[in-house]
Amino acid sequence: MPAVVEVRDLVRVYRSKRKAEEKVALRGVTLTVDDGEILGLLGPNGAGKTTLVKILSTVLLPTSGTAKILDKDVAAAPRAVRENVGVVFGGERGLYPRISARQNLDFWAALYRLDRRTARRRCAELLDRVGLGDRADDAVETFSRGMKQRLHLARGLIHGPRILFFDEPTTGMDPVAAREFRTLVHELRKEGRTVFLTTHDMAEAEALCDRVTLIDHGSLVLDEPTEHIGRYLDTRECVDFSCDDRALLDEVAALPFVEVVEARAGGHRALVRDPAAVAQLLVWLIGRGVLSARRSEPSLEDIYLRLVGTRAMSV
Amino acid sequence: MSALNALAAAFRLQVALTRRSPGHLMILLTTPLFSVIFLSLVTHGQRPGLLVNAVLAPGLIGVWLMSLDLAASIIEEDRLGGRTELLVASLTPMSLVVFGRISVIALAGALTFVESWLVAVVGFGADIPIDRPLVFVLAVLATCFAMAGTATLLAAIFIVSRARHVFQNALTYPFYILGGVLVPVALLPGWLEPLSRVVFLSWSADLLRGSMSGDLPDPWPAWIAATVGLGAAALAGGVLLINRMVDRSRETASVTNA
Repeated sequence: MPAVVEVRDLVRVYRSKRKAEEKVALRGVTLTVDDGEILGLLGPNGAGKTTLVKILSTVLLPTSGTAKILDKDVAAAPRAVRENVGVVFGGERGLYPRISARQNLDFWAALYRLDRRTARRRCAELLDRVGLGDRADDAVETFSRGMKQRLHLARGLIHGPRILFFDEPTTGMDPVAAREFRTLVHELRKEGRTVFLTTHDMAEAEALCDRVTLIDHGSLVLDEPTEHIGRYLDTRECVDFSCDDRALLDEVAALPFVEVVEARAGGHRALVRDPAAVAQLLVWLIGRGVLSARRSEPSLEDIYLRLVGTRAMSV
Repeated sequence: MSALNALAAAFRLQVALTRRSPGHLMILLTTPLFSVIFLSLVTHGQRPGLLVNAVLAPGLIGVWLMSLDLAASIIEEDRLGGRTELLVASLTPMSLVVFGRISVIALAGALTFVESWLVAVVGFGADIPIDRPLVFVLAVLATCFAMAGTATLLAAIFIVSRARHVFQNALTYPFYILGGVLVPVALLPGWLEPLSRVVFLSWSADLLRGSMSGDLPDPWPAWIAATVGLGAAALAGGVLLINRMVDRSRETASVTNA
């Protein structure tokens, strides 16, 4: 599949007003996104994710390097880029809260140069699609955070862009709405659209994305198809177990074939140095009365923690 | 055509916003008080020839104040609401949205003429016919257009200057004087006239007064052209300044702080 997003050696430096201080947000990022692909961009706060999305959506200019959308340079041909991209930044802001959802969408439709008849039809379709059809004429300030976020999604889709940038799109959504969002993303791909999303939800990234890119300190630290990310832990595997005995946990951590023990929801996870050590550890645990123990695959969260470290995992 | 659609959408947006939150229309409540002051001075001074001036001055001040009020906040409110980046990422220049939205308030400001006229007729029992109604309507429309263009320029200047409140306060009385809002430019000291004539109000005020009293400037279409021309020049300046501000913001990464 041809690449629809091509980023080469992208650098973005923020300078303070007196130009005495510089902050490098992106350090020579190179990546491509194929047509119809769903790419997940992960990284801690300040990693450079939003800067990258802003450059790709023409809101910011790069300091150096190039970024092209459908072969159009974001700096040289921003209008051509804007026709083909939809952008949804995270959070509740970005809407006119005192007017209705329909009036908001109608406004943005005109700004994307849709004629009135098309705009009316598209607004109605999208409001139904994101589950706001019944509240279309209510003021946005009466909406919940999740409803506002869904309205943002509708706004990002109003001009039928081929490429969509979602910055934490499920923030504030309840689980049902988040699941519906995932269904929507899959539908968008079926329609031939490419999706570039940042998310803090590792399960969402694993479930949704064809490829995952991790960014930290402005540099890419991983860019792999989702099904291959386990390679980044080499041949290491995990054992999940439940144990409240502090002394026993210390003993597990001290075992020569165990690399690390981490607390997890509902128990602990031991990362072993060698696949063969899984059975060894299971036997060792059962021998000490720990009966709820099982072999486990490393998750995206494990990869993330390994590559980015123990810094906050918020994206 | 699509630019006109976008302009119309900005217009509809401001109408909807104003219906839900009519704060920018507050001047409609204070204009009758201005009318009372000016009309009291004229009637008690026994100067019936100045009744037209007393009726029109609060209207012109109302149009100016209402437009200035929105111009001072329109870009800042979009920034605080997180909408600036989305406007930048759209296919429509932000300047077009600003002009479309301010046009609504400039037109709404024209209601102050009606208010002032009603105060004169009902409150003071004055007889104030409009001698050339068509010219009057054209003059009001030209005034509203010029006001919207000027306010678009001022909206950009407010942001660039980063001294919004200082400018907002400074842009009232000097412009009422230079614009001949109450006292015609012809009666001001001669050395002020070159300065007055670059203020669209000076042309529109002459024309409005003439259309009511019947003493039209000759040729009156030139006064319409001057009003519209100055408004268009201000609009062009505003568009250039806002576009430049957006381009610079994309470079300096201050879009959200624009």
